Amino acid sequence: MSSESSSQSLARPTEEVTVSVNGEDVTTTVEPRLKLSDFLRDECGKRGVRVGCEHGVCGACTVLVDGRSVKSCLTYAVQVDGSDVVTVEGLASDGDLHPIQDAFHREHALQCGFCTSGFVMATKELLERDPDPDREAIEDGLADNICRCTGYQNIYDAVETAAAELADAERTDGGVSGGADELLHAPSDDLEDRTDGTDGSGGDA
Amino acid sequence: MSEAGVSKDVGVEDDAESEGQSFVGSGLERVEDHRILTGEAEYIHDIAPEGAVHMALARSVHPHAELVDVDTSAAEDHPDCLLTLTADDLKDDYEPMPCGLEGFEEWSLADDRVRFVGEPVVAVVASDRYAAEDLVDLVEIEYEQLDPVTDVQEATEGDTLVHEHAGTNVPDSETLEFGAVDDAFENADNVVETDCEWGRISGVPLETAGVVAQYDTDHDSFHIDSNIQLHTLVDDTVYEPLDYPPEKVNLEVPPDVGGSFGTKIAIHRYCTLSAIASQQLDGTPVKFVEDRVENLQGGDMHCSDREYTVRLAFDDDGTIQGLDTYFADDFGAFPHYPVNQVLKPLSAVTNAYDIDAVRYGYDLVLTNKTAQTAYRGFGVDPHLYALETAVDEAARELGIDPTDFRRVNLIQPDQMPYRLPTHNIYDSGDYPAALDRIEELVDEAEVCEGGLLDPDVVEAKREEGKYRGVSYSVHIEPGVSGSDWTDRQRTETDALEEREREDVDELPEHFRIQLEGDGTVRAFLATDTSGQGHQTLVSQLLADSLGVLPSDIEVDYLPSVEAPTEYGSAASRMAVMLSGATEGAAEKLRENCRQLAAEEVFGCGVEDVAYRDGAVERVDGSERVPLAELADLDAGRNQRLTRVSYDYDHPATKIDDFDEALTSKYPVYPTAAFAANAPIVEVDVTTGEVEILKFYTLRDCGTMLNPTIVEGQAHGGIAQGVGAALMEEFQYDGEGQPKAITLFDYLLPSTKNMPDIEMEHTETPSPFTETGAKGTGEGGMLDAPASVASAITAALEDFDVVADQIPMTPHRVRRRVRDAQADD
Ligand code: FES
Ligand code: FES
Repeated sequence: MSSESSSQSLARPTEEVTVSVNGEDVTTTVEPRLKLSDFLRDECGKRGVRVGCEHGVCGACTVLVDGRSVKSCLTYAVQVDGSDVVTVEGLASDGDLHPIQDAFHREHALQCGFCTSGFVMATKELLERDPDPDREAIEDGLADNICRCTGYQNIYDAVETAAAELADAERTDGGVSGGADELLHAPSDDLEDRTDGTDGSGGDA
Repeated sequence: MSEAGVSKDVGVEDDAESEGQSFVGSGLERVEDHRILTGEAEYIHDIAPEGAVHMALARSVHPHAELVDVDTSAAEDHPDCLLTLTADDLKDDYEPMPCGLEGFEEWSLADDRVRFVGEPVVAVVASDRYAAEDLVDLVEIEYEQLDPVTDVQEATEGDTLVHEHAGTNVPDSETLEFGAVDDAFENADNVVETDCEWGRISGVPLETAGVVAQYDTDHDSFHIDSNIQLHTLVDDTVYEPLDYPPEKVNLEVPPDVGGSFGTKIAIHRYCTLSAIASQQLDGTPVKFVEDRVENLQGGDMHCSDREYTVRLAFDDDGTIQGLDTYFADDFGAFPHYPVNQVLKPLSAVTNAYDIDAVRYGYDLVLTNKTAQTAYRGFGVDPHLYALETAVDEAARELGIDPTDFRRVNLIQPDQMPYRLPTHNIYDSGDYPAALDRIEELVDEAEVCEGGLLDPDVVEAKREEGKYRGVSYSVHIEPGVSGSDWTDRQRTETDALEEREREDVDELPEHFRIQLEGDGTVRAFLATDTSGQGHQTLVSQLLADSLGVLPSDIEVDYLPSVEAPTEYGSAASRMAVMLSGATEGAAEKLRENCRQLAAEEVFGCGVEDVAYRDGAVERVDGSERVPLAELADLDAGRNQRLTRVSYDYDHPATKIDDFDEALTSKYPVYPTAAFAANAPIVEVDVTTGEVEILKFYTLRDCGTMLNPTIVEGQAHGGIAQGVGAALMEEFQYDGEGQPKAITLFDYLLPSTKNMPDIEMEHTETPSPFTETGAKGTGEGGMLDAPASVASAITAALEDFDVVADQIPMTPHRVRRRVRDAQADD
C-alpha cells in the first residue's frame, strides 16, 4: 500500500509575495492557490485566524486587509501582495487587551471561542465605520459572522460596551492603549466598493 | 498532558476576596477567555507537530452502490503521495468500528459497498493538505449503483435493504407501556391523534473535527490528539478498530474545543484512520482536519430525523388521561453509538404534565444517509415538540385556550419530587407559578398599548397579512445522566427483570487535585470541554472550598489512559457532577493537609490543626503553614497527601427511589431544570415567512453556580432551537443525494434571525445534588423548537393550521395556509 514516492515533489508553481502582517513584513514564496487563511496560519503562525467553513459563510477567518474586513478563506495570499493585514494577534498591546477584546470578555460574548477572532475583527471594522452603532447597525455589521454558541445577545452587548469605551477614551485623551487611536482614525475608504465577496451577501464562493 | 494557560485577568476576583464572599454564585468572568481573545488558544486545528503529514479522504458520490473497483495507482504514482489506504489494507491487521447495535460491521473505509454519499472509501496521505486533495482527485472508484433507500416509508415498505445480512431496515424497535394505557384511551371523553415531523438537524459546531495521531514504534502504542467528545467514555470506539488494548491508545483532548454539542462523540473514524496511517508510515505524525463539506455531508454527525404519531386521551374538562407516542427515527446507514437517544425522552416523557398512563414506541430505521450522532438534547427535543403539538391540537379540539389546557395538566408543586410513570423523578419546581409569571410578563409588556401584542396593532397587522401569535408553555430539561442505561438496546431485555441493584454500573465522576510548590492548585478533569466554561466553574468551586483565589488554580484534562471510564461532559451533567466532585476532592485535600501539618510541622494531633483560608494552622492560631510549603513537605513522602483523587457518585445512585429505573435500564436524570417560554411570532401568510419578534423565557436550573455562564448557555440553546424550528435541515433528494452540503444550504441562525431574548431566572434548588444546582447545558435547544412551533400554531389559528413539521420554512407555511384556504 505504500507508494514508491520520490522525495521530490512535482514542481508546483510559486510566486513571491510581500505582506505586512500586524506591522511586520513577511516575504515568502507561495503557491498561487494558497488561501490567505492558510498563509496566515501556517506560514505566518497567526493561528488566531480560525477556519470554520472555507466557503465564505461563517466569518471565523475574518481579518483586516488595508483596513477592510475580508474573509481570508476566500482570498488567495497572492492577492494581498503589498497589503497590510491585521489579525486578532495584532490587537492587544503590551499584554493589554484591546477595548473590543476586553468588552467581549466582560460581556461573556464568547463560549467555545472559535468564532471570536472573526467577530472581534468584524467589530473593529464596524466601529471604524460607525463609532456609535445602534442595535440594527450592529446586526447588519456582524451579519456575515456566525456564532453557534452565544445566540448573539452578549455579542451585541460587547459591541455596545466597546463602542462606549472607545468613545470615552477618545473624549478624555484622544486615544487608549491597544490601538484605539488608530482605530478611530482609520482610513474611511468607500466600503461599498468591495470585490472580495464580503459584501453582506454571505459570499460568492 | 494538555495544559491550559489561565489568564490572571479575573474581574470580580478582587471584590469577592476583599468582601469575603464566595466565588460560587458570582458571575466570575471566564478564565478561558484571555487566550482565546488574543488568538493564543490551541484548538486541534492548531496542533502541528514537527514533520506532520496530512490525510485526505476520497468519499462516495453515490448513496448506495457496489464498489466494483477502487484504483489508487494514479494517486500512488504521484510524487507527493506518501500512502494510500483502502478497506483491503485495513482488514488484515485491524478491526471494524463498533456500532451502537450488535451485528453491524462498519469499516472505517467502505468495504465492497457504499451506503451514503460522503462515505470514505480511500485515505491518502501527503506532505500537506493541498497535495493530499490533489491525490484524492486521482483516485478512481468504479461503482455499480443500487437503489437507494431514502426515507422511512421506503425503508419499511420497500424491498431494498441497506444491510442485506440484517434482513431488515428496522434493526431496533420497542413499545413500552406504563400504567393503564388502554383504559385511559377507552374511558377518556376525547382522543386526538397528531402526526408531525422533525427535520434532520445537527449541532454543526463552528470547528470541524480534527485529529493528530502518532504511532510510537518503540512502545507499540498510539498517541492521538483529537477534539473528540467524551474521550474517556468512547475511547473504545478508537482502540477497538485499531485492535489494541486501551492502555496502548492514548486519547488526549486540547483544552479548547470549538463547540461540539454532542456531535463530536462520533468522530472515531477519523481518529482510527489517522492512527493507522501513522502506523503504516512508521510513526510519522498524521493530521486530519475535516472540511465543512465533509462535515455536513458525510461526517457521521446528523441527528434525530423523526416522524411522530401522538395520541392524547383527555376529558372534557381538559384533564389528560393518557399519552401514546410512536415515532420512526431515520438513523441513516449505520445504527451508530448514540442509538440510545431514542430512549432518553422517557426521562421527561410527559414534559411538565401529570399523566399516569403512557405508551412509548419507536422504530429505529436505516436508510442511505449519513449516520447519526448526539446533539444537545439527545432526542428529547423532538419529543417535546411532538407532545406540545398534540396538546395544541387537543385544546383546539375542545375549543379552550391552550394556556388554560396546559395549566390544568401541570404537575403541582406539592407533588414534588414527582415520579414519572417511566420511573425517572423530577426533583423540584413550581411549574404553575412559572407559567403564571411568563404570562404576566408578556401581558404587562406586550399586550398593551405600544406592545407587540397590542390588540390594535395585531388587528392592523392582520390586514396586511401578518399574523401575530404567542404561546405559553412549560418545559422540562432532564439533567445529569448516569449509570449504564445507555446500553439497554444491546442488552437482553428479558434478562433485565433479573437484574439486581448492585449490577448497575454507576460511572462516578473522577476528579483530581494536586498542590504545586509554587502554591498553585492543579485540578484535572477526567473529561473534555467545548466552550461551557468548565475551567471557570472548577476555579470558582475550588477557590471557595480551599480558600484560595481562582487565579491560583489551573485546570487540565486527563488523557484517556490515565482516567477511568466515565460518562463525561454530556447530558447537562457537569454543573452537578463537577460541583460534587470538587467538593469531595477538596474536603479530602483539606483533611490531608491537616494530617501533613500535624505530622511534619507541628508534631501534634490532627484534631489540633485547622484548615483555614488557604492554609493550615494550629487551632489556637499560633502557627500557620501555607499550601506551597505543604507541597514541598509532601514531595519526599511515599504516600503523597497533597495529591488526591476523588470519585463523586452520581446523585441518583444514592437515592433509593431511583433503583427501579437504574436496574431496569430506564433513563435516569435526577435533575429537572425547567423553563416557561413565550415566543412572540409574526407569520406573513403571503410569503410564509416567520419572524420571532421577541422570545420571553423564565428559566430555573436550581442554584446557579455562575449566572453569567447559565445565561450564556440559555441564549445559545435558544438560538439553536430557533434554527431547528425555522431554518436548519439536512434534506436529501429522492435519489439520496444530500441537499445541504455547505453553510449556504444548511442555514444557521445569524444576527439577522435571532430575536431579542427577554430572560428571567428563578432558583429552585435541587434536593438531590450537592450544591442545589441542576443540569442546564441543553435547555434552550430542548424547549425553543416546541415553543416556537406552538406560537406559529397560535398565530395561524384562524386558518386552523398547525405547525406539524419543523423547520417551518416559508414554503411549508405557505403550503399549509394555501391548503387551508382551499378547504374553506
Ligand atoms: S472560514 Fe468560514 S468564512 Fe472563511
Ligand atoms: S463562541 Fe462558539 S461559535 Fe461563537
